Amino acid sequence: MVLYDSTALAGNSSGSSSSSSSKPPPPPLQPQQQQEIDGLLAGAGYKVRSSELRKVAQRLERLETAMVNSPADFSQLASDTIHYNPSDLASWVDSLLSEFAQPPTCPSEFVMDPVTNQTVVNDAWTTTEPNMPQVHQNISYEQQSLNNQLTVVTAMEEDSGIRLVHMLMTCAECIQRGDFSLATSFLEDMQGLLTRVNTVCGIGKVAGHFIDALGRRIFQGIGGGSINGGSAYENEILYHHFYEACPYLKFAHFTANQAILEAFDGHDCVHVVDFNLMHGLQWPALIQALALRPGGPPLLRLTGIGPPSPDGRDSLREIGLRLAELARSVNVRFAFRGVAASRLEDVKPWMLEVNPKESVAVNSIMQLHRLLGSEPNRNSPVETVLSWIRSLNPKIMTVVEQEANHNQPGFLDRFTEALHYYSTMFDSLEACTVQPDKALAEIYIQREITNVVSCEGSARVERHEPLARWRTRLSGAGFRPLHLGSNAYKQASMLLTLFSAEGYSVEENDGCLTLGWHSRPLIAASAWQALSDAPAEFPAPDTHRPS
Amino acid sequence: MARSNEVNLNECKMVVPLNTWVLISNFKLAYNLLRRPDGTFNRHLAEFLDRKVPANATPVDGVFSFDVLIDRGTSLLTRIYRPVTAEEPLPDVAELEKPVTAEVVPVIIFFHGGSFAHSSANSAIYDTLCRRLVGLCKAVVVSVNYRRAPENRYPCAYDDGWTALKWVNSRPWLQSRKDSKVHIYLAGDSSGGNIVHHVALRAIESGIDVLGNILLNPMFGGEERTESEHNLDGKYFVTLRDRDWYWRAYLPEGEDRDHHACNPFGPNGRSVEGIKFPKSLVVVAGLDLIQDWQLAYVEGLKKAGQEVKLLYMEQATIGFYLLPNNNHFHAVMDEISRFVGSDC
Repeated sequence: MVLYDSTALAGNSSGSSSSSSSKPPPPPLQPQQQQEIDGLLAGAGYKVRSSELRKVAQRLERLETAMVNSPADFSQLASDTIHYNPSDLASWVDSLLSEFAQPPTCPSEFVMDPVTNQTVVNDAWTTTEPNMPQVHQNISYEQQSLNNQLTVVTAMEEDSGIRLVHMLMTCAECIQRGDFSLATSFLEDMQGLLTRVNTVCGIGKVAGHFIDALGRRIFQGIGGGSINGGSAYENEILYHHFYEACPYLKFAHFTANQAILEAFDGHDCVHVVDFNLMHGLQWPALIQALALRPGGPPLLRLTGIGPPSPDGRDSLREIGLRLAELARSVNVRFAFRGVAASRLEDVKPWMLEVNPKESVAVNSIMQLHRLLGSEPNRNSPVETVLSWIRSLNPKIMTVVEQEANHNQPGFLDRFTEALHYYSTMFDSLEACTVQPDKALAEIYIQREITNVVSCEGSARVERHEPLARWRTRLSGAGFRPLHLGSNAYKQASMLLTLFSAEGYSVEENDGCLTLGWHSRPLIAASAWQALSDAPAEFPAPDTHRPS
Repeated sequence: MARSNEVNLNECKMVVPLNTWVLISNFKLAYNLLRRPDGTFNRHLAEFLDRKVPANATPVDGVFSFDVLIDRGTSLLTRIYRPVTAEEPLPDVAELEKPVTAEVVPVIIFFHGGSFAHSSANSAIYDTLCRRLVGLCKAVVVSVNYRRAPENRYPCAYDDGWTALKWVNSRPWLQSRKDSKVHIYLAGDSSGGNIVHHVALRAIESGIDVLGNILLNPMFGGEERTESEHNLDGKYFVTLRDRDWYWRAYLPEGEDRDHHACNPFGPNGRSVEGIKFPKSLVVVAGLDLIQDWQLAYVEGLKKAGQEVKLLYMEQATIGFYLLPNNNHFHAVMDEISRFVGSDC
């Protein structure tokens, strides 16, 4: 039997020892230290500032006491409360505490000293804390998630499938080095290998698309040919079938609508700005939800942005008319406006005719990444657009983006990431059996692949960046996150059970929700609000603050 | 009642570092929200609250990971952790399943804890632990995302463990150069430790070689109430009530805690005498209320003539191995590395 006891703890030499260990409270920390997150808890997925640990512990104790004293209330807590952002432990604990009406008693913080009969702060941790070895460096939580991350989910593959992947990588590496003749010979080998591999499903199918894309890059140059010039009409059809074949867009719409609905609670004049109207698939559900709102629906204005129609049709207006009919049928006062623009950066805020009295929601489903220029400079389109969004002082901005790192400067890195991302996405599509949805959805995805792989400069618009980067970017542009809670999570999870395929998973990520296939997140939804010191062009009354 | 609760909280606070106390108390609180008195489980909230991390094929501190779906029918995922080698500091992403190159590479099949109901292979705390095991043992670690109770009762977790064992054993790329065989160890904490025992039993019945079992605070129990259960109930994060709940959730309906899954050497147990059972390393925390059952397990192995080493960590509570901020952690990690290394 091996015996160890806790006094050995004091012997650790690698920590900073403090001679003031017996004195509560500890000396005030430097501002820098105060911001430091406990590194070990960060590794467990929780962000807690070292300086706040004690406070969080005390609150946990109070909750425990409340739990023991009124178990019925506690289980009520479980079923009724909406939880937000469990990573922010301090806020989570506080929000649970505030659900309990009782004033907190802190029996364990203060005890009677039997000798002097005076209350003494029972700070049981002071003796152990200063001698704690600094085993793990306190690192910024954000930095951790920005470190280059490559998520791979594989299934059992045959040998030739693995060879194909290896050759794809080698070919991509040749291209990065500029060795186009060697790349071409690999291309030919791969096309040969494709004939011997199962291309109906699995790695063979997605490999075929990547081989095509590499071919384009080598032979047509990085203008990308006419792939992106597919007509707006074609794109809309493909988008619609992608919407039907798999749950990614439905999840995006559903989650965004939930958040918008909550943000509009109590507001009578609301205005949604949709950055990419398409067929307006997202909006019938919101219109119906607003119709059923307790207290009655607001006046709803929808401004839909989309590309101009080439043949004189006003497709935006047609969609608007259909939505107006639906709104009329459920007694929602509705007004629509179409803004035709080939690129989002061409839109100017005055075109949206935002009224100072209305509450605005800006909705961006996979559009912001298109604004990331090839050179991150001061006046990149994304900063301009974010700045005017902010000037509208929106109640909420819903952002859904592909959860991938497809905007890395190095071609090989980008290629590798894309190969794994789209393999996973194609794998998830296997579950769909409905045609022609599935085939057209694949073409939709193929166009993305081609853009990521074979285009550069302004032609490359599929510049997907991961959630961690968007967080940094949006926070830096003056937005603060609105957390999506456990109710949105639950409903999104339940939405997925409508699909026979088991394998989709919704995950909570620091206040945002992601939808993925077999543990690999593929799409991330988040919600934002402009910080109140935004230089507003229109003074907007902000009487409702989210809890 | 309130008074004794104060005492409990105080005792608890004095034996663990502050951040550990916060972590485990947080789990305790959250888990209380999830268990319903009628035996059902709030799975949506559980998944929402669980902190998960994605796999990462880019090495971090010399370890990279990727997820593999080993059984589509049950959506059985495993997360595989591999060390980067001196010859190849940056792994070729196209060949994640590249053959291991060393003469002997231990492959540790890991079963995470959570009392059969909580956590996943991609839970942050277990991702961290598995990464540590890679560096510590110079091993490949395969963490199994087994099906959980109460939705999936006995024997689902064992079935999944068995599927994973067969899969690992049949991977050519995991074979050690020395003898072209996969050098398999089974490891797990809490319910994972329980799974280790039962999967090892199946391995023997089928002739697959398991070189060693590592059980960290394994979850065992029985109908009888033991002294440690009386003395430590509610004192160090865990109550007898919650233990009972989890057994009711995992065991087949109508079965009691003397079922062999819960009590392997009890009245309905299966003897391991005379069979080639793997050597075992069993870690018991001195402040764990189920220690009497864990110690009985060790005795059971000894009585059956099996090789077993007990590490009794007197002042350790449950979960001490989750954060590297205490001596129990380092002592146990050293022992594990010796246990796995002794076959090279």
